[in-house]
Amino acid sequence: MLNIILILLGKIVISISKLTNIGSGSTWPGHIALNLNNNFIKEILSNNRNLKTILIAGTNGKTTTSKLTAIILNHYGKKVFQNKAGANLMNGIASSLIENSSLLGSIKFDYGIFEVDENSLPLALENINPAIITLLNLFRDQLDRYGEVNTIADKWKNILKKVQSDTTLILNADDPKIAYLGINRKNTKYFGSMGLNLKKDHASDSTYCPRCGSKLTYSTKTFSHLGNWSCTNCGLKKPKTDVANYKYYPLSGFYNKYNVHAAVLIARTIGVPEKIFFESLKKFKPAFGRQESLKFKQKNIKILLSKNPTSFNQSLDTIIKLKAKHILIILNDRIPDGRDVSWIWDVDFENSINNFKSVYVSGDRVYDMALRLKYSEVQDFNIYEKLKEAINSQLLNVQKNEILYILPTYSAMLDLRKILTGKQII
Amino acid sequence: MNLTIGWLYPELMSTYGDRGNIIFLKKRCEWRGINTEILNLNDGFDAMLLKKVDILFMGGAQDVQQKIVAKDLNARKVKSLKEKIQNNTPGLYICGAFQFLGKYYKDANGKAILGLSIFDLYTENPGLDSPRLIGNIVAKTEKHNIVLVGFENHGGRTYLGKTLRPFARVIKGFGNNGKDKTEGAIYKNSIGTYLHGPILPKNPEIADWLIEKAIEKKYRKKIKLETLDDFISQKAREYILEQLINL
Repeated sequence: MLNIILILLGKIVISISKLTNIGSGSTWPGHIALNLNNNFIKEILSNNRNLKTILIAGTNGKTTTSKLTAIILNHYGKKVFQNKAGANLMNGIASSLIENSSLLGSIKFDYGIFEVDENSLPLALENINPAIITLLNLFRDQLDRYGEVNTIADKWKNILKKVQSDTTLILNADDPKIAYLGINRKNTKYFGSMGLNLKKDHASDSTYCPRCGSKLTYSTKTFSHLGNWSCTNCGLKKPKTDVANYKYYPLSGFYNKYNVHAAVLIARTIGVPEKIFFESLKKFKPAFGRQESLKFKQKNIKILLSKNPTSFNQSLDTIIKLKAKHILIILNDRIPDGRDVSWIWDVDFENSINNFKSVYVSGDRVYDMALRLKYSEVQDFNIYEKLKEAINSQLLNVQKNEILYILPTYSAMLDLRKILTGKQII
Repeated sequence: MNLTIGWLYPELMSTYGDRGNIIFLKKRCEWRGINTEILNLNDGFDAMLLKKVDILFMGGAQDVQQKIVAKDLNARKVKSLKEKIQNNTPGLYICGAFQFLGKYYKDANGKAILGLSIFDLYTENPGLDSPRLIGNIVAKTEKHNIVLVGFENHGGRTYLGKTLRPFARVIKGFGNNGKDKTEGAIYKNSIGTYLHGPILPKNPEIADWLIEKAIEKKYRKKIKLETLDDFISQKAREYILEQLINL
């Protein structure tokens, strides 16, 4: 009975927030429900045994992989819902259950696809018994909030021991710490990618063996610590992959290849015919801020969320390949971004920033970013404390046939979209 | 003039933007016509290399990495390192490196890792139930009354021995242990501190102090470094100062 009231209450909150346009209510309904009933998620799911769930976690690529998976399953004729992009704590998952259930708590969907925050995965697995868990990668990200990469890997290792054996574990073979989570576990599948070179990003994390602690050897790398790794000391090495390439990628950037490979492996595990997921990838439109294209004042804008050293390096690589001329970097230090902005010194600006004709910076921590750029010896750049002014001023440099590439942190991306579209996401 | 910056364990002890300190030192030297060489002293480095070094730098790390470093620092390396520090070689040691210079570090499970015992201090992590000391920090240096800004993030609480001077006094934030208002330590020309940010870009006076001390020692002469435009550093500092004062 309590849950029915909570669902009703949640649905009212969702309607109000939609009507008043104060964000789409993607966390509040769940927040209230979980406060009043700690077991809300567990109970709702146990009353809906027809609903299969897929959890997707990792530092980078959660939102894009979830969206890719949802589109494939939709095209396969399945009824699918997701938690909203970025609303990846327990309250975001609970909110999506409320939004997609009937007033009596029944959920008429085949699949729930949930992207899960790194720290929330243990709690999520205590409440959800998923059909598939996909773990993408672990990079340095917001040490003030998440702690060290090793700490998260340890937490994941412990919780995965409790996961039932009929849950399929889909892991990134190229990330040593992630790959190691599947050692000796049945019902585990691996995706990876073909490494190209041995280029070294500075912000590399797992170059030590997750089993014995010796330094790993790489024959090839894709980026950061991902690649074809092995340990000469204990013999641990990259597991054999089930998917390592695909014929079509709807998004640019090497990091998106991994996201596509993960989604393809999920689809194959479920039994989606090849033809169907090929067709659906062709129709894919990016998620909020993940290479999303927008028009503003008749000019073209592309947003690439850049929230930690690895994602920032990948964004820079990607837009250089796209021959970007004009860029705007927005650095915030709010809770979702991490309060510590030290990480910008781990981004490899030195090799990339002079590829661009005009560089603008803005955001709460505009001067920290400006300082970083000054010491990377960029030729010239412009500082704007106010984001609106930065956009307007930079757009004057952008010709009709050109694109302004914007690289924001998470909360900066929300601010930016509000200016560009007039609407709030969360 | 030439300076060699020895970066101890860049692959292991460089957790969060620590590299910014190296970039900052290097550029400020270059802009003043001082040539710099960065010597990466990685796992397995030759102890002889330490002889060449004019400025030492070591960053923070995760526990696993610290154990690898502890293993690599054999008696010969420790001896050279101690000599360097005793002979006034300027150095900057952040977070995990700062703890490492002390007598021991007791981790969250109560297990002690021995330090180099160069600084008269010890560090204890009160356990996983005690919160980490995280946030922006403002502190004033003891020696020159310079107001420092940075970001700290540490589980260990460091306590200084009676003979060791703190590097700074905490104005806002936690510092060494969240209790006695001390931040870091200074011994001869070596600075140990919990400040990330990284520390040098937002506190250029400290960078220049290290460069000056290195030149004085190497070329045996007093030097007044050419002033650089630090407008952006100042603005970045002001943001933190305003934030913390408005709290």
